[in-house]
Amino acid sequence: MQMDRRRLNAPPGGTTPPVFAAPPDTKLHRPTRTRKPDEHRKLFLRTGIVPSASGSAYYEIPPQEPQPTGLLVPQRSSLKITCTVHGPRPLPRNAAFSPNLLLSAHVKFAPFATQNRRGYVRDASERDLGAHLETALRGVVIGERFPKSGCEVVLTILEGEEDRWEADGAEVKGGGWGIMTVLAGCITAASAALVDAGIDCVDLISGGVAAVKDAGRHGGQEGRAVVLDPAPSEHDGEIMAACVVGYLQSRDEVTEMWMKGDAGAQVQTLIDEAVKAASLVRAVLAEAVKDGVQAKIGEGEDDAAMTGSAKEGKGKSKETRNRTDAPIPLLAP
Amino acid sequence: MSSNTITLPGQDLGPISSNTVGAGTHIYGDHLFASIAGPVHTTTLQAPSKVPSTLSITRPTGALLLPEVGTAVLGRVTRTNPRQANFSILALGSTGDVVLAEPLPAIIRQQDIRLTEIDKVTVAGSFRVGDVVKGVVISLGDERAYFASTARDELGVVMAVSEGGNRMVPISWREFEEVGGTGKKEARKVAKVV
Repeated sequence: MQMDRRRLNAPPGGTTPPVFAAPPDTKLHRPTRTRKPDEHRKLFLRTGIVPSASGSAYYEIPPQEPQPTGLLVPQRSSLKITCTVHGPRPLPRNAAFSPNLLLSAHVKFAPFATQNRRGYVRDASERDLGAHLETALRGVVIGERFPKSGCEVVLTILEGEEDRWEADGAEVKGGGWGIMTVLAGCITAASAALVDAGIDCVDLISGGVAAVKDAGRHGGQEGRAVVLDPAPSEHDGEIMAACVVGYLQSRDEVTEMWMKGDAGAQVQTLIDEAVKAASLVRAVLAEAVKDGVQAKIGEGEDDAAMTGSAKEGKGKSKETRNRTDAPIPLLAP
Repeated sequence: MSSNTITLPGQDLGPISSNTVGAGTHIYGDHLFASIAGPVHTTTLQAPSKVPSTLSITRPTGALLLPEVGTAVLGRVTRTNPRQANFSILALGSTGDVVLAEPLPAIIRQQDIRLTEIDKVTVAGSFRVGDVVKGVVISLGDERAYFASTARDELGVVMAVSEGGNRMVPISWREFEEVGGTGKKEARKVAKVV
């Protein structure tokens, strides 16, 4: 493993997160999926949060149920992604002439985003996520309208989906399925930020994720079922395969697909469910983008009104336009 | 004519037989679709024209992100050569409506400084480093720079500072005069005040 020479590094063997014992009279219940197999969790999405960037968006899947008091172990995972778009900006001096926009996508987990602390330098899984995201966005941006320019899409994951549910040092089955939900969230957040930056896109791309879970392992119904928007902490050890798609609804096109695991005979159903998940997410995305554009238009009008009356008083403070603080479209089931 | 509803990228705007493609829209199949999020504007030509109306969508922050051929630009001169003047584009639009987040490099060649007697023009007698220049983009150029021209009456140096560091005001199409200080005149290709 490469050591980061510019910083004081953590112990090379990695760190283990603390495991908290439960209070004596509390019974810990493993979270199980209470929503229907084709129901998505509620999302939060807002654009225009970083004023200095060309476009930006914040995407969150908040914990769906309140945290029980008295426990330090998070009972539900949440996903928080922030995306900024810088561009179109001129290419560096020595770059070759490019008649199309040069898109580059970078994904980084913040060091505090997951239970096991991540490094400051991008590792292989983050580069992989960046490559998948770039493939998804390449199919949606109209590059030939921006010659000699580059556009950088930077995503930071502030809190990542946990692969496992930790309480009382329970055994970890793992499997690395959390990263699929992260990619779906990244695609949606990047799409909102690109539209916020005013870059020409063919359509709104939304990310959807679905999984095949084998319920037979934990008792209950036999056989495999396909569920959309899996929360890996709810399905510990059950997920057999998962698929992420980047989907354009108005063209009914998939620009990016990533499938992991063995789906067996249900490959087509898995892809269809992932597309369905992407369609559900698109409704939230459309609302968030619309609100963002309306807020921008409102600010433009306020500015025009201000410059008209600025001659009257000296030292007039600029009135900031407050956007409504009501949470934007939480996806209703 | 513009609507109040915001269209989103990918929204169908109608068949291309009834509307022409404008800024911020694209054609897919035989329909027109939106490319950016914003209000739709319809521009119709005069009655005798049979051309269908043009649909365009403007961004809330400004019409353009990058200069196109024919865009008026404002910039500051960074280098001069006997053959060209390098300047960095800071804003688009003849009044600098759209300020760029990152300045773009551009070049004015000696033959594009003026319309008449272009072989007799000298770059040193038209621009100095630090002048604010209004020009028009004539070509996307190469990977290094856009090509711009000041070969019109209303294009050229808009603001300049004298060698002594004092403010200057334009007095003719080719001279600036120092305000205060020595009152000396300096040669520039001056933009006509309109």
